[in-house]
Amino acid sequence: MEKTSFESVQEFFDLGLKNYDAITGRFIEMPALGPAREKSEKFMKGFSTFVNLYTAGMDSNSNIQTVLLEAMRRVQEKTGSEMEGDISPETYKDFYRVCIETYSETFKEFMRSGHFASDMGKLNSCLMDFQTYNRGMLEENYLKPMNLPTKTEIDEINKELYSLKKKVKELTSEIKELKERK
Amino acid sequence: MNALNLIEDFEKVKYGMEIFLRPPDFSVGTTPSEIIYTEDRMRLLHYIPTVEKPHPIPILIVYALVNRYYILDLQPDKSVIKKLLDEGFDVYIIDWGYPSGVDRYLTLDDYVNGYINNAVDKIKERSGLDKITLMGVCQGGTFSIMYAALHPENIKNLVTLVAPVNFDTDKGLLHLWAKSLDVDKIVDYYGMVPGDFLNQGFLLTDPFRLIIDKYVGLFDRIECSPDDAECQMRNVENIRNFLRMEKWIFDSPDQAGETLRQFVKDCYQKNLLIKNEMKINGTKINLKNITMPLLNVMAEFDHLVPNDASKPLTEAVSSSDKETLVFPTGHIGIFVGSKSQKEVCPRIAGWLKPRSLLKGTKEEKTGSSKEKSREQKGKNRRSKVNKK
Repeated sequence: MEKTSFESVQEFFDLGLKNYDAITGRFIEMPALGPAREKSEKFMKGFSTFVNLYTAGMDSNSNIQTVLLEAMRRVQEKTGSEMEGDISPETYKDFYRVCIETYSETFKEFMRSGHFASDMGKLNSCLMDFQTYNRGMLEENYLKPMNLPTKTEIDEINKELYSLKKKVKELTSEIKELKERK
Repeated sequence: MNALNLIEDFEKVKYGMEIFLRPPDFSVGTTPSEIIYTEDRMRLLHYIPTVEKPHPIPILIVYALVNRYYILDLQPDKSVIKKLLDEGFDVYIIDWGYPSGVDRYLTLDDYVNGYINNAVDKIKERSGLDKITLMGVCQGGTFSIMYAALHPENIKNLVTLVAPVNFDTDKGLLHLWAKSLDVDKIVDYYGMVPGDFLNQGFLLTDPFRLIIDKYVGLFDRIECSPDDAECQMRNVENIRNFLRMEKWIFDSPDQAGETLRQFVKDCYQKNLLIKNEMKINGTKINLKNITMPLLNVMAEFDHLVPNDASKPLTEAVSSSDKETLVFPTGHIGIFVGSKSQKEVCPRIAGWLKPRSLLKGTKEEKTGSSKEKSREQKGKNRRSKVNKK
């Protein structure tokens, strides 16, 4: 595939990220001081999580746009001769068919590439980091001060419940075995 | 003329919309059944036999945790369950239900050595038999393989349908993608991983067909105007069939996080199962422990579980009586496609019948000679499959 305008956007964005890491990111990552040290450090770290997610999103987006452009080019190649004039009713269905088939095949090609898999893996990973961070902040700064149950606490209760249920099942099965032996 | 075609297509959309404005009632999983055992969210269903004297060895079907079991009983004329009942089998199925909250901690051990084992025990108790037939479908097939390897003494026959066992293949997109997935982060964040999260992955395997073309195709199947009552009935039936499938596709239970974590890591990422290195609760799963008759069924055009993922099972087990069947259909088509009722189910039933008899019965003696000739045919078929 030829270099597209989206790849240029990508390059521009990568440059921006490098600058962020070298300048703003360093300020954000530096140790906080003072009475609100813990909170402000956690808060600032969230910014990097967001930047990582945004970068991964832009990466994926520019790749998808590139593939879309490629699919469009292929459609144009296939339908070029028929498309010299307007789309007539006799060809609109064929045109639709060619579009769907070409887009589908081009995207499948892209999705089969290791590039897409690692991109998607990275995007997912960044999204999970961001969401986890947000939830942590929500729990610490809103739910706990308001004395409301947090997901972390509910998870702990669920874990305890799971262990208890498992124990009950084990004991029931042991009792059954003992009864059968009698 | 062509402009008329265009108008005709708009008319189809209009008629389709008219039907959608008064959507037809539809139901799924209508084959009569009774719940004979429940444990947490899991239910064990027993289908009411349709013959007076079913084959003695009952079948337990284990479906995947992703989506619901009723794809095997989508509608009366597209029902693997009904077909098996009509062929004279005594059929049970596990409905995993909709796990939530506390279930996030369920492990593969809980599913395989817990729920499946308890369901098998319950059926053994009801039938008074030591062994039953286990039929695993898709991920449920992988679970069944694990179970059969860990508890071979309970299984008379093992049938796997589109079940992955070798995950190291680049033929299926899910297999490729799963390798780059940070499942730890996903499970740690969600706990119960939303069914919709996985559904997005399935839709991504062919987005243009699954998100656009499928719906365009629906309106294309609208045949006639509302004045033609008979034809209109067909339209309604087309839409009803479509809605049944649509319901099934998006009826996706959330996934127990810890189970998903181990399944993705050990199977998709490390491919431990086929290497006999996977462990459940500390016990190694050795596929060589599978000595019972095995029928390994797969779909040639399966985009979710490619044949490369299923085929190696036949060679990995120790069974001497084993057969591989490949049908020219897709992952879902194997249950609900036209070939399902005409070819897939009859072939499975044909394979199972001589193997579903009790030892020493008159039927088994007459069945064993048929079985031998079937085995010979099976060997021939296998060689054909291998050549493929």
